[in-house]
Amino acid sequence: MKLPNWAGRAWLRDPLTHFLLAGFLVFAFFQLRGEPVDPASRTIEVTREQQAQLAVQWEQTMQRPPTDAELDLLTEQWIREEVLYREALRLGLDVDDAVIRRRLVQKMDFIAASQAETAVASDADLEAWLKAHPERFSSDPRYTLDQLWFEQESSAQAALAQLRGGADWKQLGERISLPPSLADTNRIALAGQFGQDFAKRLDALEPGTQWQGPVPSGFGYHLVRLTSRSAGKVPPLAEIREAVAADWRANTGKERQEEAYQLLRDAYTIKGLK
Amino acid sequence: MESRKLRMGLLLAAVATLASCNALDGGPDAAARGDGTDTIAVTEYPERVLFGDTHLHTDNSVDAFGFGVRLGPEEALRFASGEKVTSTTGVEAQLARPLDFLLIADHSDGLGATRRLYDAPRMLIQDDTLLRWYDMMHESPEQSQMAVAEMINRAANGTLPASMTDQAANEEASRDIWTAHLKTIDRFNKPGKFTALAGFEYTLMPGGNNLHRVVMFRDGNDRTSQVIPFPGLGDGPVDRLWDYMDGYEKKTGGKALAIPHNSNLSNGLMFEMTESGGAPMSADYARRRAAREPVVEATQIKGDSESHPFLSPNDEFAGYGDVGWELGNLPLTADKNNTMFAGEYMREALKRGLSIEERTGANPYRFGLIGSTDSHTGLATADEDNFFGKHTGNEPNAERVNEGQNLGTRQGRFGWHYLAGGYAAVWARGNTRAEIFDAFARREVYATTGPRMTVRVFGGFDFAENAFEGDWVRAGYTKGVPMGGVLEENGKAPSFMISALKDPMGANLDRVQVVKGWTGRDGKAQEQVYDVVWSDMEARAKSGGKVPAVGDTVDRAKATYENSIGAAELQTVWTDPDYQPGQNAFYYVRVLEIPTPRWVLYDAVQFGLKLSDEIMANAVAQERAYTSPIWVQPKG
Repeated sequence: MKLPNWAGRAWLRDPLTHFLLAGFLVFAFFQLRGEPVDPASRTIEVTREQQAQLAVQWEQTMQRPPTDAELDLLTEQWIREEVLYREALRLGLDVDDAVIRRRLVQKMDFIAASQAETAVASDADLEAWLKAHPERFSSDPRYTLDQLWFEQESSAQAALAQLRGGADWKQLGERISLPPSLADTNRIALAGQFGQDFAKRLDALEPGTQWQGPVPSGFGYHLVRLTSRSAGKVPPLAEIREAVAADWRANTGKERQEEAYQLLRDAYTIKGLK
Repeated sequence: MESRKLRMGLLLAAVATLASCNALDGGPDAAARGDGTDTIAVTEYPERVLFGDTHLHTDNSVDAFGFGVRLGPEEALRFASGEKVTSTTGVEAQLARPLDFLLIADHSDGLGATRRLYDAPRMLIQDDTLLRWYDMMHESPEQSQMAVAEMINRAANGTLPASMTDQAANEEASRDIWTAHLKTIDRFNKPGKFTALAGFEYTLMPGGNNLHRVVMFRDGNDRTSQVIPFPGLGDGPVDRLWDYMDGYEKKTGGKALAIPHNSNLSNGLMFEMTESGGAPMSADYARRRAAREPVVEATQIKGDSESHPFLSPNDEFAGYGDVGWELGNLPLTADKNNTMFAGEYMREALKRGLSIEERTGANPYRFGLIGSTDSHTGLATADEDNFFGKHTGNEPNAERVNEGQNLGTRQGRFGWHYLAGGYAAVWARGNTRAEIFDAFARREVYATTGPRMTVRVFGGFDFAENAFEGDWVRAGYTKGVPMGGVLEENGKAPSFMISALKDPMGANLDRVQVVKGWTGRDGKAQEQVYDVVWSDMEARAKSGGKVPAVGDTVDRAKATYENSIGAAELQTVWTDPDYQPGQNAFYYVRVLEIPTPRWVLYDAVQFGLKLSDEIMANAVAQERAYTSPIWVQPKG
């Protein structure tokens, strides 16, 4: 279906449009279905559909269908509620009731919140969001390195001298269950295994082919050959559009809910306020 | 007139339903909503241990809100994944190291109920008790905490106001909260980086005897949204929870498991020799329990349940975190006597499992071990120097060490009895919901009292003395079984390849022990603790069968310690010298750190407190890790 291009398509994304459209559909549904039950009526019709609904609710809680006796009881409870509900409406108990008022307000808020969640952001919105929160989308820095561990700093110094003299690094180092080599490992994994302090110290080293150190960690002392350290990069929007949109939607829902309220609020005249 | 109003109501309800359908299209991407399968490349076998908390409460928990917490699931997830948040009492908090996963386990009973009571218009509260609680909650934080203490007592005694336990009345509210909660965790669930698991706490406590379980789901939103958390109060036995889990799995094709906790407050009921109804345990029942509850939470803020000196008089390291908690049940409505300990501590439970297996052919207590926090502050803290308290009433302040901290109204427990909480360590092939759940299901997990030690254990019959040369992890997986596994006897004594690496930001290691439990030919269950490797082995030679104490570097006045004693790593291949063919046995590893200050000592320094002699005697401790056991079964 081709929609007329009136004034841009902004109205298509307007929560109010969605609301009115949904409301119209529901209204049409009830019109076509005929008059709903009049609460003033003293006839209560228990349909098969009604009973099926009760059975489904029961099953959702109990994880099994109700027995016939249980269904009879549920139906009786439902009739009791319906009778009291209608009598309450007859007495006008729904008027000026703070709980009912609050419940209806909640439902409106809920509608607005749901609309906010389906809102679609423009590219400009998302670019701005990405710019404001780059840390949420940047890839972790990654490290490629070899390391040797020593309990004492002096042993590490001695080994460093040997390495500079051309010794084979695989013959050096003391035994520990830390990996001797890390290939393209992200910062979380590096810090998890070697500690935050060690990861921070690596950020101060220049990558290269030389052995450096000793670098202290919670375990002792390390000689490190840091082959590469890639900085954390923020990918362009095109590559991570979905993630940015999800984050934008989740974190700006409240604002848009407020905007939707303001739209309604503006249609009201408030008197008596100074 | 009325007719129009009703139609308006229907219209609103219908629009709300429509809108909530729409909502599914937005939100996090499919990878974050699912169980994580095929979203990341998993390794051939577990390479990196993941640390997390499976037991955290937020303001959706009926007691946590009353205790004062105003942080919800979102803040809890932000904190656990490494972001800075502001605690309820206004202190900025950030984990020095993020966690790898989090399961928010709010109480299924009255999900959000105290918040609803708190928010309700006062004139509409009919029930006198609720009205009094409402007033207390609005009066002051102290009064609010008293109100919750009363709630817990009444929950224990089954005398809560009817409106709080009416399942049908609470169901709609529970469903709303659960739906919103599942969406929230999806937003933070990032396969490969951080996992947010779905679950809840089932709070069964007949007479105040703690039979609580945390329920963990393996699955994504499409499945977990088909149920709501199962309430535990008033009803029982625990078999009904297992029925619910069966129902969930049948209906959705998903998977769920339950993790018992605080067996130390069950007054002997957590690990009974009988079925929950008192009947002799059948093999079917035993198998069902073992399948439904493959892991037990052995350590957390409300004490440690590994061992008790009454049950293990020859173990000088038994009894960590028992003080105060051994007085009675959860709200101290019933005292404890010595005959109850055997049903409360997990080492004894593992032994009971063997005895029951002798008799019935099935072991109900073949479980692995984890730690967690059970924090009610929304903050998953487990270190001694960042303890944010059991609940918001005892977030850091000068009084909390000495204050009476009874959940109920009787005296006996004080702030200093609380531990700082533990973490669950998981050997998973990748950081996703499904991989973490599967590691729990195969028990490849261990408990720590907070420190992030890396502990590996493999059991087998073919490990050589020099097994640690080369790629020993691969050898462990190919020639043996990892922690949580089962070996079948093959005539030789079993060997264990054990490796314990210290927390890179924590204390050095004192020793590694193997705890063995077995039933011999007479069918009686026995236990033995072996020191298998320790720091400075030459200087600390065994005398009288015991390894001398490692020493103590803690400066009591400054709350500091030195890593000048102990070792960074301890490794050994240990073969059981006392194994007899035909033994039905389990072996688990306990790793001890050197002594370090407990949170009470940090508090004393920060707030300038003078601690009593009794507290000073408990101000320093050796933190530890417990692995899941490996079982060695007789043939046939």
